[in-house]
Amino acid sequence: MSGTRLPAPAGARLDRTRPLRFTFEGESYRGFTGDTIASALAANGVRVLSRSFKYRRPRGLYSAGSHEACALVQLPDEPNVPADRRLLADGMTITGQNYAGSLARDRGAWIARFEKFMPVGFYYRTFFRPRGIWRVWERVIRKRAGLGRVNPKTPHGYHDKAYAFADVAVIGAGPAGMAAALAAAEAGAEVTLIDENPEIGGALTYGRFDADGRAADEALKRLAKEVREHAAITVLTDAVCTGLYEDNWLAIDQGRRLVKLRARDIVVATGLQDGIMVFADNDLPGIVAATTVQRLIWHHGVLPGEVAVVATQDEWGYTAALDLAEAGAEVSAILDTRDKPSDSALAKLAEERGIEVLSGWMPERAEGETEIERISAVPVDEAARETEEPRNIECDLLCVSARPTPAAALFAQGGAKLPFDPARGVHLPTDLPPGLHAAGAVNGETDLKRVIADGERVGKAAIAGETKPARKTAKKTAKKTATTLPPQPMLEHPEGKSFVDLDEDLTIGDIRDTVALGYQDVQLLKRFSTLGMGTSQGRHANPPGVTVAAEARGDEIGQVGLTTARPPLAPVAFGTLAGRQFSPVRRTSIHRWHVEASAQMMVAGAWLRPAYYGPPDEAESRIQEEAVAVRRSLGLIDVSTLGKLELRGREAGAFLDRLYTFSYQKLAVGKSRYALMTDETGAIIDDGVVCRLGEEHFYVTATTGGVDEVYRTMLWWNAQWRLDVDITNVTAGYAAMNLAGPASRESLAKLCDDVDLGAEAFPYLGVREGHVAGVPARILRTGFVGELGYEIHAPTGFGLDLWQAFMRAGEDAGIRPFGVEAQRLLRLEKGHIIVGQDTDGLTHPYEAGMDWAVSKKKPFFVGGRSIDIMRARGLTRRLVGYQIENRDAPLPKECHLVIRNGEIAGRVTSSAVSPTLGHAIGLAYVPPELDAKDGKFEIRVEGARMVEATVVPLPFYDPENARQEL
Amino acid sequence: MKIMDCPLNGPRNISEFACRGEVRTMPDPDTASDAQWADYLFMQTNPAGVAREWWIHLPSSYWFIAERDTRTGEILKTYPPDELFKRPNRPMSSK
Amino acid sequence: MAFALLRYGLGGSREPKRELPATPDLKSSYEVVIIGAGGHGLAAAYYLARDHGITDIAVLDKGYLGGGNTARNTAIIRANYLTPEGVKFYAESVELFRGLSQELGYNIMYSERGHLTLAHTDAALSTARWRAEVNKHLGVNSDVVLPDDLRRICPQLNLSQDVRFPIMGALYHPPGAIARHDAVAWGYTIEAARRGVEIHQQTTVTGLKQRGGKITAVQTDRGEIACGNVLQAVAGSSTLIADMAGFRLPIRTVPLQACVSQPLKPFLDPIIVSGSLHVYISQSARGEFVMGGSADPYSLYSTRSTLDFTESLTGDILELFPCLASVKLMRQWAGMTDMTPDFSPVMGKTPVENFYIDAGWGTWGFKATPVCGKRMAETVATGEVPDILTPFRLSRFQEMAQVGERGAASVGH
Repeated sequence: MSGTRLPAPAGARLDRTRPLRFTFEGESYRGFTGDTIASALAANGVRVLSRSFKYRRPRGLYSAGSHEACALVQLPDEPNVPADRRLLADGMTITGQNYAGSLARDRGAWIARFEKFMPVGFYYRTFFRPRGIWRVWERVIRKRAGLGRVNPKTPHGYHDKAYAFADVAVIGAGPAGMAAALAAAEAGAEVTLIDENPEIGGALTYGRFDADGRAADEALKRLAKEVREHAAITVLTDAVCTGLYEDNWLAIDQGRRLVKLRARDIVVATGLQDGIMVFADNDLPGIVAATTVQRLIWHHGVLPGEVAVVATQDEWGYTAALDLAEAGAEVSAILDTRDKPSDSALAKLAEERGIEVLSGWMPERAEGETEIERISAVPVDEAARETEEPRNIECDLLCVSARPTPAAALFAQGGAKLPFDPARGVHLPTDLPPGLHAAGAVNGETDLKRVIADGERVGKAAIAGETKPARKTAKKTAKKTATTLPPQPMLEHPEGKSFVDLDEDLTIGDIRDTVALGYQDVQLLKRFSTLGMGTSQGRHANPPGVTVAAEARGDEIGQVGLTTARPPLAPVAFGTLAGRQFSPVRRTSIHRWHVEASAQMMVAGAWLRPAYYGPPDEAESRIQEEAVAVRRSLGLIDVSTLGKLELRGREAGAFLDRLYTFSYQKLAVGKSRYALMTDETGAIIDDGVVCRLGEEHFYVTATTGGVDEVYRTMLWWNAQWRLDVDITNVTAGYAAMNLAGPASRESLAKLCDDVDLGAEAFPYLGVREGHVAGVPARILRTGFVGELGYEIHAPTGFGLDLWQAFMRAGEDAGIRPFGVEAQRLLRLEKGHIIVGQDTDGLTHPYEAGMDWAVSKKKPFFVGGRSIDIMRARGLTRRLVGYQIENRDAPLPKECHLVIRNGEIAGRVTSSAVSPTLGHAIGLAYVPPELDAKDGKFEIRVEGARMVEATVVPLPFYDPENARQEL
Repeated sequence: MKIMDCPLNGPRNISEFACRGEVRTMPDPDTASDAQWADYLFMQTNPAGVAREWWIHLPSSYWFIAERDTRTGEILKTYPPDELFKRPNRPMSSK
Repeated sequence: MAFALLRYGLGGSREPKRELPATPDLKSSYEVVIIGAGGHGLAAAYYLARDHGITDIAVLDKGYLGGGNTARNTAIIRANYLTPEGVKFYAESVELFRGLSQELGYNIMYSERGHLTLAHTDAALSTARWRAEVNKHLGVNSDVVLPDDLRRICPQLNLSQDVRFPIMGALYHPPGAIARHDAVAWGYTIEAARRGVEIHQQTTVTGLKQRGGKITAVQTDRGEIACGNVLQAVAGSSTLIADMAGFRLPIRTVPLQACVSQPLKPFLDPIIVSGSLHVYISQSARGEFVMGGSADPYSLYSTRSTLDFTESLTGDILELFPCLASVKLMRQWAGMTDMTPDFSPVMGKTPVENFYIDAGWGTWGFKATPVCGKRMAETVATGEVPDILTPFRLSRFQEMAQVGERGAASVGH
């Protein structure tokens, strides 16, 4: 058929003054602003939108609520676009999905002819012999499976997030939701009303709740006006609430924006979702849900068919029939599955209009090449089918009003139960947790007045903090009347497929077979058959699926249960969830200088640090030159990223003694000492230096990556010990730089006149406070790189000035800035470990060869007991220094293995060619018996070559430590 | 997202917090057997019910104690650590 | 290939026969009671029957079979561990997995896709080398690859160096595979049941009766059963069962979340893991992206989902694959995992003589299903723990001898 546009008042969402052009499958079409992709295509008479998941059957718009996968289309940069919800934009290029060749003539559609060879789960029983063949089959199957295509050139696009708060959040702006929002707002609550549609009103905007549609119109006018005018109600439209998480935390998808809303109370008024009617070939394009027909007419001004048949199981179908008839379609018949003729005003009106009503009838089969051309209808009653001839009715639209299901997935997410209510024939929420409320049709209400009243009641209850589950009353009535609504009838026909799951192409027979095979628990049924695993997550498929399963199992529907609905309620784009990516970067106060000096920056935790200065292709020589400069004369490195902690208090020393392996209570003021921290299992977790600045004042450094955890750990222990000590993390407060090399004293002296820098007055490991270049500074004589050197810590604001002062003062000595790479090299020559590189998560101090750093005298430190136990058990490995005498041997890399007698005996943790010594040196874990001078072992390097290494005592460089102690 | 009621900062999103496991009492490291010490280090009560745990509010580095039902995730009670740990409290050697 | 299809279609009856057994009545005693009808418990039952002739077995589960972490994991199989003991163990698992479809006559859809652990820092690249060296030494195919190789292995990856955490290289493990997790459980179930094993679904263990340091009976909500040996294989609830048996475990129960996208045409072949970003992603045969991250930050006996998880996960995925911004997330879920201090499982004997344990799987349990079943069956049948399991003994914690897997375990799956 060719589509027909209807005049106003149909098409309320359209702006007919703004036409849009678009293409679908290469053909050009026109639509209007306000159209969805699906409505514009319907207006142009395009019925087939995609091909189905398994059998590649043509599919078209069925439900306009994204309740099945039939209307998913492809945009150039976006797969699986819901055509029924996505607004049409000018110039859109749209194609169908899941076909080979063209949508109309899919070269892959042959598969449907082999349907009998593909019973449910057939792939579990084939495709695997001989071994390895599955990989070949998988390629074939993968190509057939899937729906849309990812375009690898898709731009990331802009997405952001908003945070919102409400006393009461109402989800669904239909009659119940609007009434609830108003009631809550009237009672004084700040309310946010959320709806997935562009307008508020829900079913009132297209539905006809009585013969003339007046009730809906009046309710809409009144409620929408009051909602819009109420100052305490915020309305979010085009907003899909996709998740209800702990403590009433809502995820609301607005396309480019994810709104995260925290509400004290939540009212779910999400109404009903379309069901499907199950008969043979119930998936043919042109079979459309009644609500969708009405939306097409009233929202988009599209008449979706000229000759229609309506199949219904309730009054709603009659309203759609009247809408169709009034819009100009010929309605050939209403098939009402109920055996008693309806005596409602709607039914009478339909009959008055000359529409034939067949009570107790339903379609047995739909027929047509690629879209519906006719149906054959039969009596629902089996006995009657024996006597009555099927009726063939020509039509180009089958409008289906199947039993709708309360849209209750959010309740399942919120932790409520969803038992089957036999009186209403659907699953309804009960046992709602505090703060979660149900209103309107999700409560099982269908009468408009009662829906609105229910909304008002729940809105008031929400603000009153009432948590009484609403369903209690409903349950009582159910018991009192004790009626059971029979399941919606389903029919099969040998010539067609009766689908219960349109996403996954599952038929009645598939579900039955799954049960017969023994996959009977609803979870196993889902997993084996894939029922409800498609893109709509079972929204349309669960009710008929569970009904078939119950029958096959010989159980009640309630005994079968439901699989748990998980978030998201509707698919959400990764970009929407991700939003903008913020990853904080920390730069030192000297950063700009480094960059201008062509430093190559490397990541160190959140910090950026210079790795070396110069172009990357000269990395190796630059690093060696920087290291040599330090050894020969003078270098300067920015160590501002070091962790820095202030500890003050009477028991600060005692506190440090409990925490670190050394003892500090007797450390003299003006002295510093190495600090090694272990956890309770004795494993090394951090190191640094403890400086005593006063009797009750310590300044402690920690590793760049470790300081936050060290700080937390300190606070944690003292939360228990409650010693008299205050601990502050001052990492960001101080810039720090290490002036190192034989010329460092002279150079520092140029800038510092209030500290005696003489070798005796300020010896190795001494700590002084004074001024450098006029800046108040803490000066530490340290030895990490093994030369005479000073670490200067000064307030961050002075960092750059101080650095530049040093660079100027050191000019004569040929000062050279050096980076982390050169520092690593220099410290290796001195045999200092780097925690995390030369240790792993289990290394204890004795394994690391740091016996010297463990106090044997103090009564307690955190890892002490564990270290004692492990030491008593004997070491299984030990970190040693080694050198490689053969200068032609390839250089081992970190983590190359130590091999002994063909077995793994250890690994290299640090490795470099020493510019000072001229040969390769390194640190490695080896068996403890090798821990002797001249012990030899082999390292397996690149290409499985073996390199011989010799154990040498540490440090490699300046074993007498003469240079650093100058 | 859950809300944690911090004794210092009030109710905040739980993503601002970190958990350091159950509150446990260190045995006397001098008198505990190796087995008792190892048990303290590694074994977990891991209750399916109310757990008393260490939590920290990360931006303020504030440690406190939370009682939480591990079956439902419900946070029953939070309080400062000095309600449990009174000075002097030295879980360590008497040496 | 077409022949396989035809034969199935013609030979197969349209009235399918029951293959998955119904839960029978409980007998009064069994030679072996296995608590937990997940992949591990079912595999142990199968190998007890196949290799040791023990068929008087009841496998009990409080829910449906394979419904715990067997149903919830992301089905990655690999052997590229860090420690020699880990590598040996998982290498045997991979070997068993490779022949499992044929062994069980059930297509578990074992698909070797290759497994890439991306390194974004020098340290991560070193760890990759460490793993590669250990793997190669033990005959497992792993190697360090650099961005140029990555361009070939996975051209879809964002290899730009102009990002916050550029990819510097990766550990490439070509045998890395995915499989249909449910099918593993069903295949074992069908074959175990065929040999006489009973699977009791919806049967909750409520207590363990002990006399003289031995379990004499297992109490359930369907009655009490006397038993010879008992094996516990219940991830998430391991502590609760061990409590009944009267010993402590080094385990915390922590949720692990995962999610899938809508199905899409083939885009990604290998399994991609980023340790620094804490994410992993693969594409299933159905076309869904299967994704996960690190375990939740605190313990919980619950399978609730969080929004934080999908927010941070998708953010990290888009760092690696910016073009997936318009792909849609379809479903998220969670499982309860057993976290141990050394990121390694607990297998073998317990302080109770006839009570064996298979627990502590963290986030790695699925990939060990066949080897764990086979070796635990051997342990239960002979009372002797095979060498391949001894590094994972419960008593290692008493001995302060943790497994050194921590270095590589920043992200598990």
